[in-house]
Amino acid sequence: MAVKELSDGIFEVQKSGKRFIGTKNAVPGSAVYGERLVEAEGDEYRIWDARRSKLAAMVLKKMNIPIKSDSNVLYLGAASGTTVSHVSDILTDGLVYAVEFSPRTMRELIQLCDTRLNIIPILADANHPASYAHIVEQVDVVFQDVAQPNQAQIAAVNCEQFLKGDGHLLLSIKARSIDTVANPGKVFKEEVKKLEKEFDTKFQILKKQDLAPFHDDHLGLIAQKLLR
Amino acid sequence: MKIITWYGILTLEENGVADCELFNKDVDELAEGLLHQNAAGARAPEAGFDIRAPAISFGFVENDREYDSLLRDVSIRAGKLRISRTNTPDMRIIQAVEALDDIDDAANALSERLSEWYGLHFPELGFSSEQLARFVKEHGARSNIPADDPIFEKASSSMGAELPPADEELVKQFASNICDLYDNRHSIEESIVRNMGEIAPNLSNIAGPLIGARLISMTGGLERLAQLPSSTVQVMGASRALFKHLRSRAPSPKHGLIFNHPLIKNSPWWQRGKIARALAAKISLACRTDVYSGELSPAIKTGLEKKVNSIKSSNPKPPAREKPSGKGRGKGNKNSGGRR
Repeated sequence: MAVKELSDGIFEVQKSGKRFIGTKNAVPGSAVYGERLVEAEGDEYRIWDARRSKLAAMVLKKMNIPIKSDSNVLYLGAASGTTVSHVSDILTDGLVYAVEFSPRTMRELIQLCDTRLNIIPILADANHPASYAHIVEQVDVVFQDVAQPNQAQIAAVNCEQFLKGDGHLLLSIKARSIDTVANPGKVFKEEVKKLEKEFDTKFQILKKQDLAPFHDDHLGLIAQKLLR
Repeated sequence: MKIITWYGILTLEENGVADCELFNKDVDELAEGLLHQNAAGARAPEAGFDIRAPAISFGFVENDREYDSLLRDVSIRAGKLRISRTNTPDMRIIQAVEALDDIDDAANALSERLSEWYGLHFPELGFSSEQLARFVKEHGARSNIPADDPIFEKASSSMGAELPPADEELVKQFASNICDLYDNRHSIEESIVRNMGEIAPNLSNIAGPLIGARLISMTGGLERLAQLPSSTVQVMGASRALFKHLRSRAPSPKHGLIFNHPLIKNSPWWQRGKIARALAAKISLACRTDVYSGELSPAIKTGLEKKVNSIKSSNPKPPAREKPSGKGRGKGNKNSGGRR
């Protein structure tokens, strides 16, 4: 059984001929959403399913994940916290601010926060960063998975408010929630163009990648905020 | 300039943070504060402002570690408070309405099964759904039907197969479960009517408690329903027809969920669209009254009745048919359905 660290806190685990990606479990012995736990080289890893998590799909698509073990991350669209739990594993020395709009899914997220020490739950609308600016500090990474028609704008206003000068934006763009009928390729192009031109905050796109076959009609994108 | 943070109000001057009015270091108080961040005169921090540094330099917390853990405790507490406050009475109504639909689905499926199963034994019975379930629960095999029952004749000459006692027990139990579902359904319905009268008296008065409850369930809350334009209320529940109309040349839907209202259902087709518009307008009005005043206002109902009467008297006859223009405008594909 071999373990290889792909980037900070993200591991590739080989077991009985199969390869998985996973994160080192911060709460050994307990699974968060029914994922498999694997012992390797004396540590316990939580297997990370790329079909359930866009961030995991980005890892498998060989995108360079800029999250370091001591980063502070603003996570928009935390939902019930499946991906957030892995981010929390990665950040052995950092915080993740998890913003979620729906009280129903927040219920599960809060239960997750109770077991982990580095998640700050925030029940708020990501469209209005001012409504949580009194809680969130300046962060190194903004991760966004909100599936809203104005995705690009949400990313831009949040990066403007919270992202450090040379911080990174990780974005998952869902073509179907921007335009249900248009060709996804065209939607992606437009969204990327928006991100490059339309807002006060300027980005340099580092990498973009279709997340198929893990997620249909999704584009993963990594960008860096440009210093003004 | 004063800006607000979760731990205190900062006074900003040109060369940085000049002063900080710290809040009490109490998790409950801070959590309560998070929910009402709009303290007088203070603004949200500007873009790029780091709120962590002043918390340490002004001695609210000793170090980064304490900052992290205190912020975590406060946020979790605030989140729990918010969640418990979103459980309003209309949320319970929504659950009740959804339960009603689930019971309908389940009871229909089970009733069909019972009808097939019991049909092996007594195909001539001709009952269905609730009536059948009650019958089977009471009598079991057709040989138990008393001679003075009007069905006795049918039962004694039935072409159905014999029902062994072990099977009879099973079918009876099955039927009794279905009856329980129907009983449950009735009591849920009663409770919806009762609760609607309390939390939305005007809406119940105009739309009827069950349609009102469905509208609330569809929008996700009474307050949200009150914020919708009445044109949306009018076509809610006819989304397939609405989007078809928006996409192609199909006619716009005249009514969605509110079609089930007797005022619309019992009116001739050429008045329905107009009445739906009037009804939707009054439903919106009623919701807003419920949310913002909460008192029953009979004027809405009389207004609606007046409007409906004037619609009826000015449109007593169906409109003359337009001559077919040959282009086939209007009506969409007949097979697609979903039009209301």
